[in-house]
Formats: sequence, C-alpha cells, structure tokens
Amino acid sequence: MAADFITIAVIVIYFLAMLGIGAWASRKIKNTEDYLVAGRQLGFWVFILLMIGTVASGMSLLGVSGLGFKAGWPTIWEQIFVPLSIGFCIIFFGVKLHNVAKTAGYITVQDYLAHRYESPTALRSLSAVAGVIVSLIYLVGQYSAIAIVLMWLFAIPLWLALVIATLITTIYTAIGGLYAVAWASLIQSVILIIGVLIMAPIIIFYAGGFDHINTYLAGVNPNLVMPWMPSGTFGIPYVVSFAVLLMVGLACAPHVINNVLAIKDVKYFKWAPLVAFLIYGVAMFLLKFTGFAGAVMVKEGVFTLPNVPNAGDFVILYGIQNSLPVMALWAVFAVIVLAAVMSTTDRLMLTIGAMCSWDIYKKVLKPDADDKTVLLLSKIVVILSALFTMVLAINPPEMLAILIWMGIGVMLSTFAIPLLAGLYWRGATREGALAAMSLGLVSSLTFGMLNYIKASVLGIDFGTIPLHFSAYSFIIAIFAMIIVSLLTKKTTDKVLDETQTGWFISK
Amino acid sequence: MFGLPDITVLAVGGVTLVVIAALLYWGLTFRGHD
Repeated sequence: MAADFITIAVIVIYFLAMLGIGAWASRKIKNTEDYLVAGRQLGFWVFILLMIGTVASGMSLLGVSGLGFKAGWPTIWEQIFVPLSIGFCIIFFGVKLHNVAKTAGYITVQDYLAHRYESPTALRSLSAVAGVIVSLIYLVGQYSAIAIVLMWLFAIPLWLALVIATLITTIYTAIGGLYAVAWASLIQSVILIIGVLIMAPIIIFYAGGFDHINTYLAGVNPNLVMPWMPSGTFGIPYVVSFAVLLMVGLACAPHVINNVLAIKDVKYFKWAPLVAFLIYGVAMFLLKFTGFAGAVMVKEGVFTLPNVPNAGDFVILYGIQNSLPVMALWAVFAVIVLAAVMSTTDRLMLTIGAMCSWDIYKKVLKPDADDKTVLLLSKIVVILSALFTMVLAINPPEMLAILIWMGIGVMLSTFAIPLLAGLYWRGATREGALAAMSLGLVSSLTFGMLNYIKASVLGIDFGTIPLHFSAYSFIIAIFAMIIVSLLTKKTTDKVLDETQTGWFISK
Repeated sequence: MFGLPDITVLAVGGVTLVVIAALLYWGLTFRGHD
C-alpha cells in the first residue's frame, strides 16, 4: 500500500511531537545526573508508563500477535509474565536498589555492582560490556519492528524506513536524555494502551468473535487452544523456563532496571506493580487475541500475508487493514506500533550511552573527566549505537520474537544472578559475580546461537532442547556464583551493610 | 467456555488470579522507607 496525504500528516505530527519533547527536555538537562536518571524526579504515573513503555517493545505488538498467529494459546504465557516482569523488577530489585542508590548516588546499576562486590574496575567493566552487547541485540529487534511498520505503511524500501526511524528516535533521545525518554514514553504508552483497547476488539469482532476464533483454531489443530503443547517447544517444561525468562530476564535488563533509580519516592513502589500489571496485561492479552484472529482470517482466506520469511510479524498490520478500511486509521495504528517500539528503543540507546560514558569512560578509563565531557560522550554513544544497530537491522531475522527473546535470554543469564545474589546473599563474592556474569554471558550467547541455527553439538540437538536455551545458561550462572563464592574471600561487612545486603526486601 | 477447553480456562485464569492476588498483597503490606 502507498500512503495518502492524511497518513503522512498523522505520522509527521507524531514524529514532530517526539522531537518537541526532546527539545523541551533538553532545556532541563544541566548535568549527567539529569541526563541519565532525570534528576531522580519521576512521579508515579510517569514512572509506571515509562516502565510499560520500556518493556512494551516491537515484540509487544508485532511479535506477540505474530507468535499467536503461528502457535496459538500455548504462547499465552507471555501475556502474563511480560507484564509481571515490571512487578518483579520493582519488588525484588527496585525497592532495595532505590533505597541504597539515594544515599550512594548511583547513576546506573553498574554503580551498585561495583560497590556491592568491591570491584570498581573488573565487574563494572564486564557488566557494562555485557550490558552493551545484550542491549544491541535487543535494539536490532526493535529497529526491525519499526522498519516493518514503515515499509507496510509507506511502501518504501527497508533502508529508507530504517533511516527515518533511526533519525527521529536518535534526535530526541540524544538531546533530551531520560527526561525526554520518560515523557515520550508517557505519551507513547498512553497511545499504545488506548489504541490497543480500541483496535484489538474491532479485529477480533471482524474475525467472527472470540468464541468463533477459538472454535475455528481447535478445528484446525486442537493443540492451538491448549495451554501448552504435548511436548517440545511450548511443552510444560518449556513454558516454565519461558515464564522465568520473561519475568526475571526483562526485570534485570539494564534498560528496565535503571528506571528504578530515577523514581522520586519509594512509596510509589507500593501499588506500581499491580497497576502496571493490570494496565499492560489487558493490552497484552488483547494483542495475542488479535494474532489468533489474524490466524483465522488467513486460514479463511480473508487476506494473505506477504511472501517474506517473517510473514507472521505482519499479521496485526494486515488484520487492521482488512477490519478498518479507512487509511487514516491505519496511520493511527502505525503510530501505535511506532510508539511501542520507539519507547523501548530510546531507553535502550540511552542505557548504552550511560554504560559507555559513565561506567566505562568516567568510572574506569578517565575518573578525572569533567561532567561536560561525560555528558557529550553519552550523546555521541547514543547516536553511534543507533547507527550500528540500524546497519544490523537491514537483514531482519525470520521472526522478530526469536531475536528479542534471544536478547532477553542473554540478559537473564548475565545479570539476574549477580544482582539477586548481590542483593540477598551476604556470601556472594566479587569472584563469584565475575564467574556468574562471564559464564552466563558466554554460555547464553553460545546456546542461543546453536539453538537459532538448530545445530547439533556433542550429541545434543540444540534445535529441539526441552527448555528455553537461556534456562541452561541461567543454571550455569547459579552454580558458578555458589561454587566460586564459597571458595573465595567474602565482601566486608561494612560494604554489605551499606548496600543493605540480606534476606529482606526492605527493613 | 469461550470455545476453549476447560484446562486452558483454568490454567490461564488461575495463574492470572494468583498473580493479581500476590501483587495486591504486596500493595497492602509494603511500607517502604525513604
């Protein structure tokens, strides 16, 4: 399809609004703390919608419905455990990290790791480098999603779609920092939620209603309406590992967890988990049902998907196109998808900027660097990370969801254990954290790649392993932390007390 | 119900309710401090 004037106008207005937020936010930036943690002044709703916007990504719209289209109800668990990741992040990481960060002045979660494990150089560097790697993998998935939408709406080539998307997101993120990202996310999340609440029921109704969709799917293949598959991918063991992956992996992702450092008052954490779960959960369920509706419409011949490897990711777009034959509304929907994707993309780029400028440059390479230089470097890294991932996104993977899960899987294996053990177990040591993080990173990258290319190594067929690949690297990280910590010198009690380490969430 | 097998409604509905109950409990009991 090719866009008409109204379509172009709607998209341009949205893009200008984002740039306007960036310009407004840039005036609030006086120092690095303002840029990277919004001066620790985020209110309740800005924080909740920032969290939803950060977690709600390209997968939330295109990938979620694409997976529902492909595999039916056994994939429904992501609708529960992705929204729950916000609550997990707040409860198990956020409360304690926020309380310690206020007195210790943390800018990034790497500040906490360096303090807790008395490792200002080694662990900080490793965790920043690992954070950059996983964020880049995740970012490629996001840019692929933006490109899918722009290609669909404007019938433009992939490279041009990527350039437009990259340019807009990069400008407002680079100039406005977390203030711009948070306020852009507020608007983007509201657009996303209201848009899904209105449009998803229309598509479901157009496909014949909820009961008809389920009955039809059951007729095609009874497993499509079961809560899990009889075996293999989306069998019960896989579903359990999948739940852990989404809930814990997203919760400890650097771009998600850093948000808890920017909240104004810890009391916001009281109802934020429930409110975020309910708002985001409803939108996520509706999106999955839209994917089911798309599957029925394709099977009934209402429309056909494009002949591309990642056709499933287009199902919600084609569903909208057929259910709402008004082009201006497609543009509104494109804005909804763009809002979801850009709200994650901007936060990821800012996180990469923070890890490079603050953790690696300021804290390791050049401790005497002035604030102005660090701030400038943050902005340069934001731009470079966007350009780098744009180039990588030119060849999108077969399914968006697979790439994004791979990113989350690596995050889970790399960060979850050093963070959880650091916050709750006084026996966790620097060497244990280094071992858990490095082995988690290397093993998850290896298993993820072997799983993706369906390789068979040492008699193991990685294409048909019963658990999600990240479960194996997660277990390796747990063992590495326990064994190495038991064998090495303990962290001093002074630091353990300063970082409130122990089996409690809040004293 | 909804054209779905009972086990699907029970499993998905049950887990969702348990999660909501847990988050509600957290909200009612969390005191926090600054």
